Amino acid sequence: MEINTCSGAISLTKELENESAKVYQELAQKFEKDKDLFLAFAKENGKFYSQVERAYYGVITDAMEGCFAFHLNPEDYQFKKTLSNDISLSNAVAEALKMEETMLRFCQIAAEQSKHLMADVPRAFSLVAKKRNERLAKLKALLEQAK
Amino acid sequence: MAILEEPVKGIKEVKNYINGEWVDSKGKIVDVVNPATGKVIGKCPISTKEEIDAAVAAAKAAYPEWRRTTPLARSRYVFRFKQLLEENFEELSRIQTMEHGKCIDESRGETRRGIENVEVACGTPTLMQGYYSEDIASSIDEWVIPTPLGVFGIIGPFNFPFMIPLWSAPYAVATGNTVVIKPSSEVPLSQTSIAELAEEAGFPPGVYNVVNGGRTVVNGMLEHKDIVGITFVGSTPTGRDVIYKKCGETGKRVIAQCGAKNFIVIMPDCNVQATIAAMMTSFFGNAGQRCLSGANLLIVGDDDKFYKDFLGQVVDMTSKIKVGYGLDEAVQMGPVRDKDKKANILQYIESGIKEGAKLILDGRKPKILGDYPDTCFLNPTIFENVSPKMKIGAEEIFGPVMSVMRAKNLEQAVEICNANPFGNGDAIFTQSGRDARYFLYNVESGNVGINIGIVAPMAFFPFSGMKDSFYGVLHTQGKEAVRFFTESKVVIQRWF
Repeated sequence: MEINTCSGAISLTKELENESAKVYQELAQKFEKDKDLFLAFAKENGKFYSQVERAYYGVITDAMEGCFAFHLNPEDYQFKKTLSNDISLSNAVAEALKMEETMLRFCQIAAEQSKHLMADVPRAFSLVAKKRNERLAKLKALLEQAK
Repeated sequence: MAILEEPVKGIKEVKNYINGEWVDSKGKIVDVVNPATGKVIGKCPISTKEEIDAAVAAAKAAYPEWRRTTPLARSRYVFRFKQLLEENFEELSRIQTMEHGKCIDESRGETRRGIENVEVACGTPTLMQGYYSEDIASSIDEWVIPTPLGVFGIIGPFNFPFMIPLWSAPYAVATGNTVVIKPSSEVPLSQTSIAELAEEAGFPPGVYNVVNGGRTVVNGMLEHKDIVGITFVGSTPTGRDVIYKKCGETGKRVIAQCGAKNFIVIMPDCNVQATIAAMMTSFFGNAGQRCLSGANLLIVGDDDKFYKDFLGQVVDMTSKIKVGYGLDEAVQMGPVRDKDKKANILQYIESGIKEGAKLILDGRKPKILGDYPDTCFLNPTIFENVSPKMKIGAEEIFGPVMSVMRAKNLEQAVEICNANPFGNGDAIFTQSGRDARYFLYNVESGNVGINIGIVAPMAFFPFSGMKDSFYGVLHTQGKEAVRFFTESKVVIQRWF
């Protein structure tokens, strides 16, 4: 079902960030050498969610279009949540890259959709998108090393 | 999508909070019903005359010492209160949804706006400063000291059970007064929770009191010689004919915020997409149960194509509004507060049909998301070809009903707005500065929106109102509230 409400969008953000963090935790367990990077990403996901949530709770008002701000289909933002036991580092990082691209798209679309309707919420999504872009560069570098 | 957990488990026994104690009432008890589920979630007392008298006596007794407490110390109590409201933000919001029906984004919005008033009241040491002139005559100085007045009564409505008493209470206590709050007996749980936090914030006994009930409590406040002023939010007949009149007779200062019939004026040059989204919240947010809701959609100009396209999109988006229990995060519109209010709205819809308006979206047989009784639910309704003289075009419906009208030009649109006896929150949607200014300058409305569908002033601005929408002089919120809750003591000094 399409998500239209801010509350629904914030809950979807939480769900996606948590699921993505679990993927990184799994990667950290599988690949000892790059454990610190993956755990840092997992931890950062929590910060990303907090940033968006804080913005929402800070500016939510009954006078704005909080129930009509978004048109998000959760199906569009699904990613692989479990990795096979024998996956190689390069394949695992490739999956992480796909996941990050999905999350980046989610953040950009959420920022765009809320732009005229929810003060500060789009900025929080945009800041997270910016950080995700930096993360993509790190993952791409790791993929090159792993090849 | 998730249905959020209900914070009220079982049935909450509502008590009065008098002189720092939670006390049972001797009055009859009424059910507090969750309008979405139909379940009883609370029992509310209809308190007696003796109980309101006891609360006023406690507030009066607490006043001298509270007044002597320094403004800075008083504002620290208010600041602690704000912190506690923040810590309990989510629970307070969900309680509103449970007792009123509004959806969770709306409840959180209400919580935020309520807390913003507490935040502004934290600045009272500055806000209530007086002013001074040296040498108004040779060696004579003059100054003003804003001083508190005593005990204030605060009467809340059902539609914003959390926020509206906070338009007054934090300013009243921060300026050194004491308060007795009467929440609506239909939705007493939010104010009970707030009083629990006021107690935890440490306000001295008697400073902050809550007495639940109905007319007996209201009349007890109005006739009580020790209550110096009243703030009220509710209907125009009660505000004008009871509250304002009685306060005049008994010498109380008064803020009576009343009903409304708000016009949303659409110019053909508006940003259509953004405007339509704003219409959804304006007309159907809070299920139309607010004094700033859009009621009449007035489309300007003789461009039939624009009219049809715009209205077509409004109807299309409105028909997709998801109606259901407000704790379901997918829901965009909750039920109305109770079955009597639903029946009243249905009567208006019937009258619209009888008077010849064209029903283009019929919300009488609601489609509900989830398995809930339809007792209090309606879907949004839209009428076309409404005239300002029809009941649905003239009177406050207080429900999710949009009445669409047309005006030849902006000048005629403003005339139509001004012919209505209410003047609470009219708005224009346009990209023309000239038209916006014309509207702003000429419309007789206390709150005016330019590309804003709900013209709700922030806590640091007065919540205004004109004509039949407001009786009094000063308004709630911000500096005007500080002014309302204080008297100007003027001192002229000469030393020989």
